[in-house]
Amino acid sequence: MAARGWICTDESAKEMLSRVSAERSLMLLPPLHRVPLRLGNVVEIAGPSPSAKTQILIQAAVYCILPKEWRGVHYGGLEHLVMFIDLDCRFDILCLSQSLKHRLMETSGSGNKVNWEQNDDPWGSGTEEPNIGYDEELFAACMRRFLYIRCYDSFEFLATLKTLRYRLQRARETHGVTAHFLMIDSIGAFYWVDRASTSLHLESNSRKRLSLQSISETVVEEIRKLLLVHPMLVLATKATILGDTYSTNEVKRTSMKLSSNDPSNLRTVTGGPQKLSYREFMPLVWQSFVTHRILVRAADDDPANSKYQSRSIFLSEWLMPSLNFSDKFIVRDAGVFVVS
Amino acid sequence: MLLHGGLCVGHLTELVGPSSAGKTQICLKVASGVATRYMGGVVFIDTGNSFSPLRIAHFINQIPDTIFKEVKQNILEKVMSQILCHSVFDIFAMLDVVHQLEYSLRSQVQTGADQVRLLIVDSISSLITPILGGSGSHGRALMISAGFLLKKLAHEHNLAVVVTNHMVGGEGGILKPALGESWKSIPHVRLLLSRDPGSSICHMSILKHSYMASGRAARFMI
Repeated sequence: MAARGWICTDESAKEMLSRVSAERSLMLLPPLHRVPLRLGNVVEIAGPSPSAKTQILIQAAVYCILPKEWRGVHYGGLEHLVMFIDLDCRFDILCLSQSLKHRLMETSGSGNKVNWEQNDDPWGSGTEEPNIGYDEELFAACMRRFLYIRCYDSFEFLATLKTLRYRLQRARETHGVTAHFLMIDSIGAFYWVDRASTSLHLESNSRKRLSLQSISETVVEEIRKLLLVHPMLVLATKATILGDTYSTNEVKRTSMKLSSNDPSNLRTVTGGPQKLSYREFMPLVWQSFVTHRILVRAADDDPANSKYQSRSIFLSEWLMPSLNFSDKFIVRDAGVFVVS
Repeated sequence: MLLHGGLCVGHLTELVGPSSAGKTQICLKVASGVATRYMGGVVFIDTGNSFSPLRIAHFINQIPDTIFKEVKQNILEKVMSQILCHSVFDIFAMLDVVHQLEYSLRSQVQTGADQVRLLIVDSISSLITPILGGSGSHGRALMISAGFLLKKLAHEHNLAVVVTNHMVGGEGGILKPALGESWKSIPHVRLLLSRDPGSSICHMSILKHSYMASGRAARFMI
């Protein structure tokens, strides 16, 4: 009897195809569009400090929480939950809501073409807002699909990870859909603090000693266990805190902009993409956990390029799998756009 | 002085600039503004003896609100009593003060007036630079945990936190903000100040902001 049960089929081909196609590659927005990603992949977005990493996460989150279709209008989103763990504690929910509103308005095809490019002031005149139609109910439904947790140190992060399974389970019951994205803003946020923490010697030796290594191992193990139960795409940003050559370029760019009014200033623009020297600092256990890595950084702006004057151009380059070219993209309210 | 809508409550704002670019002046002006207009308490952590009550009185007297001398005197006294200045000279004293503030905020009954709304640390870089060693991680760890403490305070108790930073020479002689790469991801907003030599006009530009493009500049006079 047991043997008969063993050779019985688990599922038919149709069921298998429908299950696998649900986990199929998620078409992501630039600059993540070059490589097909699936649930269960761990993508690391690395880059020096101001380089639009959180913006990329925000755009991916908006894409995920939008519905596929609502009242006849096709939005093309994934309609799943996003779990955002903020370790940097710098996330601004206003940014996300603005992007979402923008996307809703764009798609619902409202007649009034508000020029969002010039109206960057978030506290702008309230007269423009209520006239444009975006569905309040839809907006609320989408925002409910965005789950946000903030952690101020490694202990809170570990505690969050350990209880995440239960949280996601509860969210699944409330919303009826699963979480597709797990976003960790700045995985290296507690690197220095953990490295400097002394090992707490408790009485028994069986207790783990507190160190960077053990914390990273626990983090990786918890995420791995979580992915078994709730398959998700993990997007983690990482600030390259051991960078060297890019800090000066950033101030050079700003000081060039400040003095660009002076006509007698010589224009010494460092053109062309530079080779980014990138030093890995995360422990080996995390490095081997990551399946994909992309590097983003701000390109040196040409002051003569007036079209993108208020926006910086960013370069992105896939390191793992290693593709040999880099994309240029800019970030606007409406999203991330590739500039060829 | 309101720039792009003002300082965000719940954010950690960093003012970076070379010496005598006007960072302390801006801090004093903001402190006086918050104390008068919003009737909120201000905690000023001063590391270089740069806090000047005279200057604050000067800012307050500039506001053309009242004509009567007695009323003005009262306002002056009230405002001054809301600004608390602590002189600290090392990072542990600063952490002490901030922890004290946190305990008092947590145990405080919510009142409208006199609640601390603004925390200013003038020259956090002078507290941290001495402990940032070469490759040792303890200094950086202290810096980062101080940064997180300030952010936590700002977020949980609805304060605006302002810190100032100085500049150091980088490669090629170009000045760059002090405190290194790890500090860059701590403030929400970083503003770069500079002053034209010999004039009182200052430039300010956004180095980093959560949702505004960097590079916007403004000129003003204090």
